[in-house]
Amino acid sequence: MKELAALAMDAAKARGAAYADIRLIETRVENVATKNGKVGSYEASEDVGFGVRVIASGAWGFASSDDLSKESIERTARAAMDTALASSKVKEEELSLAPESAHVAKWSTPYDTDPFTVPLSQKLAHLFQVDEALRKVKGLTIAECSMGFVREKQLFASTEGSLIEQELVHSGVGMTATAVGGGDVQRRSFPSSEGHFASGGYEMIKQARLLENAGRIAEEAVALLSADECPSGKKDIILDGSQLCLQIHESIGHPSELDRVLGTEANYAGTSYLSLDKLRKLRLGSKFVTIVADSTLPGGLATVGFDDEGVPAQKWDLVKDGLFVGYLTSREFARVCGDQRSRGCMRADGWNRIPLVRMTNIGLAPGTWALDDLVADTADGLLMETNKSWSIDQMRYNFQFSTEIAWEIKNGKKGRMLKNPNYQGISTEFWNSCDAVCDKSHWWPWGIINCGKGQPGQIARMSHGSAPARFRGVNVGVAR
Amino acid sequence: MEKARAESILKSALDQSKANEVEVSLGGGNYSLTRFANNTIHQNVNERRYQLSVRSVFGKKSGKAATNKLDPAGVLAAVRQSETAASTQPDIPELLPVPGSQQYRAVDAFSPETASLTPDFRAEAVAHAVALCKKNGLQAAGYFSSGYGSLGGYGEVSPLAMANSKGLSAYHSGTEASFSLTAMGEDCSGWAQQTSWSVSDINVEKVASVAVEKALGSSKPRHLDPGKYTVILEPAAVAELMVYMAWVGFGALQLQEARSFMAGKLGQKVFGENVSIYDDVYHDLLRGRPFDSEGMPRKKVTIAQRGVLKGPVYDRITANKEQKESTGHGLPVPNTSGPEASSVVIEGVNAVSPEELLKRLDRGILVTRFWYVNIVDPMKVVLTGMTRDGTFLVENGKVVGGIRNFRFNQSVIELLGRIEGMSFPVRSGACVVPGLLVRDFNFSSGTEF
Repeated sequence: MKELAALAMDAAKARGAAYADIRLIETRVENVATKNGKVGSYEASEDVGFGVRVIASGAWGFASSDDLSKESIERTARAAMDTALASSKVKEEELSLAPESAHVAKWSTPYDTDPFTVPLSQKLAHLFQVDEALRKVKGLTIAECSMGFVREKQLFASTEGSLIEQELVHSGVGMTATAVGGGDVQRRSFPSSEGHFASGGYEMIKQARLLENAGRIAEEAVALLSADECPSGKKDIILDGSQLCLQIHESIGHPSELDRVLGTEANYAGTSYLSLDKLRKLRLGSKFVTIVADSTLPGGLATVGFDDEGVPAQKWDLVKDGLFVGYLTSREFARVCGDQRSRGCMRADGWNRIPLVRMTNIGLAPGTWALDDLVADTADGLLMETNKSWSIDQMRYNFQFSTEIAWEIKNGKKGRMLKNPNYQGISTEFWNSCDAVCDKSHWWPWGIINCGKGQPGQIARMSHGSAPARFRGVNVGVAR
Repeated sequence: MEKARAESILKSALDQSKANEVEVSLGGGNYSLTRFANNTIHQNVNERRYQLSVRSVFGKKSGKAATNKLDPAGVLAAVRQSETAASTQPDIPELLPVPGSQQYRAVDAFSPETASLTPDFRAEAVAHAVALCKKNGLQAAGYFSSGYGSLGGYGEVSPLAMANSKGLSAYHSGTEASFSLTAMGEDCSGWAQQTSWSVSDINVEKVASVAVEKALGSSKPRHLDPGKYTVILEPAAVAELMVYMAWVGFGALQLQEARSFMAGKLGQKVFGENVSIYDDVYHDLLRGRPFDSEGMPRKKVTIAQRGVLKGPVYDRITANKEQKESTGHGLPVPNTSGPEASSVVIEGVNAVSPEELLKRLDRGILVTRFWYVNIVDPMKVVLTGMTRDGTFLVENGKVVGGIRNFRFNQSVIELLGRIEGMSFPVRSGACVVPGLLVRDFNFSSGTEF
């Protein structure tokens, strides 16, 4: 592999590349799902290939292939150069990169049990056990359980002398209970609507505690069919950690991606309300809101040793005590916001995609409250759990989320169950309405496994650590 | 990949099989995309990728494996891995034997010119769009893509060629080109896009002029209160809604599980008299693959005719439950989501030109496209989302200026009962739909731009 990488670098340099890097990637995936006591789906795949990225005549070029022959490496490097030269015909300024030291290193996801050594029969046995526990509940229509595992072995090399080998391992599991009746469909998922996914091995499966929660989740799904509708109006809301995960993702994570701030996603994912003039000036949230970006977070789905342009993993603040103070950056864009070095946020969806600025693990720092105390402190509110639907405008101001379930809170008491809860707001107003965050004992790194961005489209994974938090005077019951 | 090469790889997999039955498929292709923003090409990518998928069957046990290692050792490894996976799984009672040989309708969707488009060609087209934007004081962002095979927008691989141990053999290779432009000013943006199987259909000049005109026309956007408005939804906006409606409601499995809006309503009139909806991969503007992921021939399916619900699309398992034939809308077996309608066509009834449709709107809102649409209530097909890149106030049949964007919460079922006019259907993404003039569209809140 190292020989092939050197060949690509030599081919690009020989044709005049100012910079080149190559990522050789071998990926193994296994996904298995059950539905109502049967195998619902199963897929196992192996995939290998490489992508060559070059800068020539001040512009980017990229080409990739699944043919690892020497001829293909040289042909692909030439194709990357051809696209760079074509790119250079339409540009406003010369492209350059923030400086970065050459790194020669190896890094692996820490894990106890390689999930690919666990027999399929053992994985299915666990899923069927959970499936049975779900279906014991009378009135449940559909029980679905799933597991997924990914291992990606990467070799990164650049013309600047970096040579980095990484092995990333992700594992996850989840369950969904669906009840159908009376012209209505209600769903409960656990631990979140995406399950529990994290970097690590098969040991992650036990962490999710599906079996311990299956009965409760199924009962809630059935009970939702006859629950009252969520009322409309302004309420104080307490969001559980799994819903806050997506709230952070959509209304702070994406807007802080510096590439979209600068317009490169304008045709697709959109731009951002966090324009450069807002840095260190915008009060994005209340004093209780501190948002930390952390590519070193143990168990995080975006936890790496180095990003996909060879920059080491880092930890830094995006929002400090409510003030917007940092972006997610790359070597191309870091200096635009005054940084001298990339924060290491470039990641690509496999060998056939060019790295983009992607969210790393981004979390809401824990506060001081116990959840029971927070409920007891709320006079007229809703406790909302588990994301069901999400939508936000292309500049990331106006959002609307639905959750699977809510409970009414009256005078500090958690009361009746409510179905079809949803809320809508404007990002900065919403985060400024936060007046309480629960403490570290409630904090959990919730995983996202399907974050889309880019053209052609790319999927990325990341975790958002959060504990339940309260927001005052939010519009609820808006989807009518 | 040419047919002979694809068939050779599939045959080598079939020959290695020790299973009772085996099904093999090969997907992939070559895809290039030139992406630009801030009047600069900032990404220019090319990929070549193929994947072999093998499904081995022993009785009612089924196991799969996929690989992009297409040399003899890679193929053999995938075959053996699928056999091991099958042998360790429990029976799937509903599993059907693989189908026998099928007849497919010929679909001419391969344009050599499109397959061989160069980065220089795409750069020249981008340069034209950028020049028009700069001339009008705007920033250009967008892409020009081209390719052949069966790679999806997110790199997902669907079958290019299929074969099985009962003699089924299928192959389809199409091309596709797409040009998209967002023209942006300080307080405005305009968007247009065109997609076709042949690059000769792509009119870069027209796309660019529409996007620029929309951007210039939407500057200094005024504020309107949210509420119910008569709207013209341009085809891109209509297509976005229909993709979600098809996803939650046009498949037989959702209906059999009573979680589709169709449940209990087949044969009833649920839309307006002027609404006829089909799934038709053979539509001249689509020209898609004539077989599904089970190797079954795709059929044109009438979802609704003159407002009356006719039925969903089927795969083999859902069809078998009702003693019907598959309509050729199956996903890879086994799956939990059931058949999928992916080529939605709405018939243009009494359709007129977009200009004529605009003249029929006394006062209302013209929507260019929607963004971040999601499902609020699957049974009522209530969707939410935002307007984007060209939202205008219309008075007396004329655009009078841009407005700030809105969020909507709207039942598509109700929307399809309030259509007062249609423009000629055009392709938008994988749909062919008209622009729609609709009463009482529910905008529920506004935003900051």
